[in-house]
Amino acid sequence: MKVIYTDVLVIGGGLAGLRLAIGAKRRGHDAIILSLVPAKRSHSKAAQGGMQASLANVTKGQGDNEDVHFEDTVRGSDWGADQEVVRMFVNTSPKAVRELAAWGVPWSRVRKGDRQVVINGQKVTITERDEAHGTVAQRDFGGTKKWRTCYVADATGHAMLTAVADRAIAESIPVHERMEALALIHDGGRCLGAVVRNLVTGEVLAYVAKATAIATGGAGRLYRNTTNAVICEGIGHAIAMETGVAALGNMEAVQFHPTAIFPAGILVTEGCRGDGGLLKDASGHRFMPDYEPEKKELASRDVVSRRMEEHIKKGNGAKSRFGEHLWLDITLLGEHHIHHNLREVWDICHYFLGVDPVKDLIAVRPAQHYTMGGVRTKPTGESPTLKGLFAAGEAACWDMHGFNRLGGNSVAETVVAGMIVGEFIADFCDKSENAATVPVGLVQEFVEREKAKLDEIVNRRNGEDPSAIKLEMQDLMTANVGIFRTGPELQAAVDGLQKLLARARNVGVRSSAPGPNPELVTAYRVQKMIRLALTIAYGALTRTESRGAHFRSDYPRRNDAEWLKRTLATWKGDSDTLPTLNYEPLDPRRMELPPGWRGYGAKDYIDHPDTPARAAEIEKIKASGAAGDRIALQRALMPYDHLLPPVLRGRNERIDEPL
Amino acid sequence: MAEVKAARTLTFKILRYNPRVPGDKPRLQSYQLEEADGMTLFIALNEIRDKQDASLAFDFVCRAGICGSCAMTIDGRPGLACRTLTKNLGAEITLAPLPVFELIADLSVDTGKWMRGMSERLQTWVHMKQEEIDLKRIEDRMDPDLAEEIFELDRCIECGCCVAGCGTARMREDFVGAVGLNKVARFRLDPRDKRTDDDYYELVGDDAGVFGCMSLLGCHDVCPKQLPLQTQIAFLRRKMVLQGTKG
Amino acid sequence: MNSTQNVIAGVGLADRPLKSRWPARMDFAQSASGLVLGLFMWGHMFFVSTILISKDAMWSVTKFFEGYFVLGVSYPGVVSIVVAGVLGLVMFHAFLAMRKFPANYRQYRTFIGHRRFMAHEDTTLWWVQVVTGFLLFFMAAVHLYQMMMHPGDIGPYGSADRVWSGRWWPLYLVMLFAVELHGGVGLYRLCVKWGWLEGKDANASRRKLKAAKWVLTVFFLVLGLATLGAYMKIGYEHRAQVGEKYTPAWAVPAPKEKAQ
Repeated sequence: MKVIYTDVLVIGGGLAGLRLAIGAKRRGHDAIILSLVPAKRSHSKAAQGGMQASLANVTKGQGDNEDVHFEDTVRGSDWGADQEVVRMFVNTSPKAVRELAAWGVPWSRVRKGDRQVVINGQKVTITERDEAHGTVAQRDFGGTKKWRTCYVADATGHAMLTAVADRAIAESIPVHERMEALALIHDGGRCLGAVVRNLVTGEVLAYVAKATAIATGGAGRLYRNTTNAVICEGIGHAIAMETGVAALGNMEAVQFHPTAIFPAGILVTEGCRGDGGLLKDASGHRFMPDYEPEKKELASRDVVSRRMEEHIKKGNGAKSRFGEHLWLDITLLGEHHIHHNLREVWDICHYFLGVDPVKDLIAVRPAQHYTMGGVRTKPTGESPTLKGLFAAGEAACWDMHGFNRLGGNSVAETVVAGMIVGEFIADFCDKSENAATVPVGLVQEFVEREKAKLDEIVNRRNGEDPSAIKLEMQDLMTANVGIFRTGPELQAAVDGLQKLLARARNVGVRSSAPGPNPELVTAYRVQKMIRLALTIAYGALTRTESRGAHFRSDYPRRNDAEWLKRTLATWKGDSDTLPTLNYEPLDPRRMELPPGWRGYGAKDYIDHPDTPARAAEIEKIKASGAAGDRIALQRALMPYDHLLPPVLRGRNERIDEPL
Repeated sequence: MAEVKAARTLTFKILRYNPRVPGDKPRLQSYQLEEADGMTLFIALNEIRDKQDASLAFDFVCRAGICGSCAMTIDGRPGLACRTLTKNLGAEITLAPLPVFELIADLSVDTGKWMRGMSERLQTWVHMKQEEIDLKRIEDRMDPDLAEEIFELDRCIECGCCVAGCGTARMREDFVGAVGLNKVARFRLDPRDKRTDDDYYELVGDDAGVFGCMSLLGCHDVCPKQLPLQTQIAFLRRKMVLQGTKG
Repeated sequence: MNSTQNVIAGVGLADRPLKSRWPARMDFAQSASGLVLGLFMWGHMFFVSTILISKDAMWSVTKFFEGYFVLGVSYPGVVSIVVAGVLGLVMFHAFLAMRKFPANYRQYRTFIGHRRFMAHEDTTLWWVQVVTGFLLFFMAAVHLYQMMMHPGDIGPYGSADRVWSGRWWPLYLVMLFAVELHGGVGLYRLCVKWGWLEGKDANASRRKLKAAKWVLTVFFLVLGLATLGAYMKIGYEHRAQVGEKYTPAWAVPAPKEKAQ
């Protein structure tokens, strides 16, 4: 049995995993990154529009700060987020942009003087300040009060990932490519590493580590129509849940992005709308102002996606041989803007749709985009139930997105979480009591168990076809656990998935050739994926309210009285066919921003009994003026500084807010 | 009136070889598939794998032309399979793995290892003046045009097409390829990187570096991101010759 | 090596052995010698093609290079010196360019396959250069040696006799194609290699350069074939008087007087 020892084992080579490993390495701990693909090919690459950080450099961002970013994020989350974590995030995000700027990310910069932009379909001239010239620029994104999204044209994730991956190479951090974690090694209370399969040779080996971090991104491939890369199958989520100890939080919160090109499902950035693009229906009518007079195209993603589907259901969709869709119109932005700031969009339209977005409309329809749920962690990134297991980025639920993530907050979260969790994981490794004493027997047991599972699949004759099962699962999810959900549909999904799970236990493969065996990979993943799909469907069935991206047509109101709580799912036994659900309440009495109307979307909701009292209390503190400036006031409402690693504490300088 | 044409039947000739199967020999295997509207090689290959041959190995990740995983030779030329529409190809399509890179199996090659080696060799990261960055302070300013110029070169997705399309790289294993030279040009342009031409000469001032390039421009012509490789390599050559003849 | 230093500024290169400066010099020298030879080749073609104007024109050009119009006397030795220089340059250029040739059979096979499958014009043109360069290594050497040793034999009759009666025309015919293709492609490649005449849109400039290259190549091939034809014709007609030197029309004695 081959065993590789390290201090920190990072599963996932995207932005979160890389940044986390760099943090640990800089603190003197060895880190190894496992990645299904070369690190620079991770799905972080696909982030286009940008990352939110309240730098307030551009004129339209003036007055922005952590407080505004905090409120936007919490409202976006439909109050599902952990507000302390949101605070940690918004305070670190500007630091992340500045660190990346020093590391070489070619952020688009502010140019002083007049420039023409499109706002609400009108050409408007904006004057940028002289003193902002050359600082990192921001663009508009959905669900935000200020222009806050820092960007590199429309290849932000690409530029960030390139810089961070190269930084990891500079720090001599090994990335073990084409390696897949099959299971976490643990003793019921402490995580000790992972059983790993080499996707090139098929070898199964063990990695033993003081700390193990899951940074495997999302689970979009549980759906048929998704913007996610083909590697985003949620295996990181699944292996955490399969420990029976670690929990997944809010898996039913699944985001659908309004503008995936139709029918290929490839993303075109929210920056299209942020920069002034419009949504139009079959008759060329701009319909979003009819539904959302305040934010129009730039309401949060869950709201825009729902409005689009609603509009199609009313018969306003453009018809095509693949079904109905709507149009994204960016022609009004002009050729120069598209060729400079939306190059990737142009490429995608050109290669996949055969249209020129300078002149033509883009066929779009919402598609699965983001997994708000993930491995439940404390604000340190560590699982509260399985010591030594950390998670960061999309795979984690520490929980800054609640039930809907704002555009630009995910790519920001990856590096911010990497920075924060990297420090905490180093703290963890620093402690002598956390030195991993390796119970060889346990490691052996886990490796043998995984090998036996693989052998069983390889040796099964006439088993179920794994790719057919996977396809059925994806269709079930897309049909029944989508943007609009109802009890009967969700029940049908749960029933169907349970049947599929039973069949998936019987999968076989036709080829037992050594080396890369793509069919075997599908075969052992599909069972994990169905468990994860069940967690989403069952969580959605049980949650009888609508919150953020989780919309129940049969329970259309947000119900804080009963559902201001986080779903926690665990998978107790190997033979279980449903996850075990528990709920963790969110306490309005500790919130800086008690639940209310988001500023867009539905206005009616059922209040939590403690909300009015907290709201009154906050008003009193604000009115008294005793607190002082905004920083002191914030501290009086909900202190969070102590939660951050010392190196990441402190205010952020702005042109209008010198230190 | 659009003419309704019968869907074509495409024949895929795919180079199959799994070096881990004892006795396996490289061979061309044919698959037939009915063409569908908007079909890309991503769709076609997955359909072949799902319905006809579960053992066929290939790599896709983003399937949107931005991650660089799916480069392969398509009818002899390197390109990104995910965004290649079958309607732009003939009825017989020949697919082979990228040369130069270590073969994993069939159409799957190990570009990651090669690229990591290149990065380590050329030190493709910003060499800062000091390690400590004051994260609280406003970032250093940069001219917007310069930022855009750097981004232009930073768009490289390390897909390996330029290397596979390069006559020099095909003949000489130690050649850094256009991907490496473009990276050096990118960092050279970046004022945040404190390296000088003297340092860069040490990295690419030989026949495995910029002087190995014979200006066949295969790289420039196959680059899926249309990077200005011709211009950048010429520029780097001038600078390195200047550096090398200075003294 | 100190890894921290590597990551940060100093690059950590201070104590490493310095890379040789020779690759830079050789790269430059290869291009520079190629440029000189390429331009020489075009000039040379213009000079020899003066035979198409008249024998007198060609005679004048020859005499000019022998220093006749400056010094009043012909010094064919001047030509020998120039030819020796060109021969040296050819050898120098060949030595440098040979570094880029496939070094062994494996490399040769790889490149041949690469060229075939890529079907890429510039790649194919490089192979044309390799083949023509290889041919020129021999043919140019023979031609230049002959010129160096018998500079006085250059002239309307001298050259024509060599072409026809000396049976040099097959060599010249092959060499014409080799040299025009090699030089034309080489000059085009120099432009893209060093970024000359690139302008704002490198792709558009390259298309124009490529077109210009083909126009020039065709032009010089036509000119060269016509010139070779002219010498062959003169040589054929003059086959009985091989060895006779040409006398320009204005110096020919009155027609009534008998020659000799």
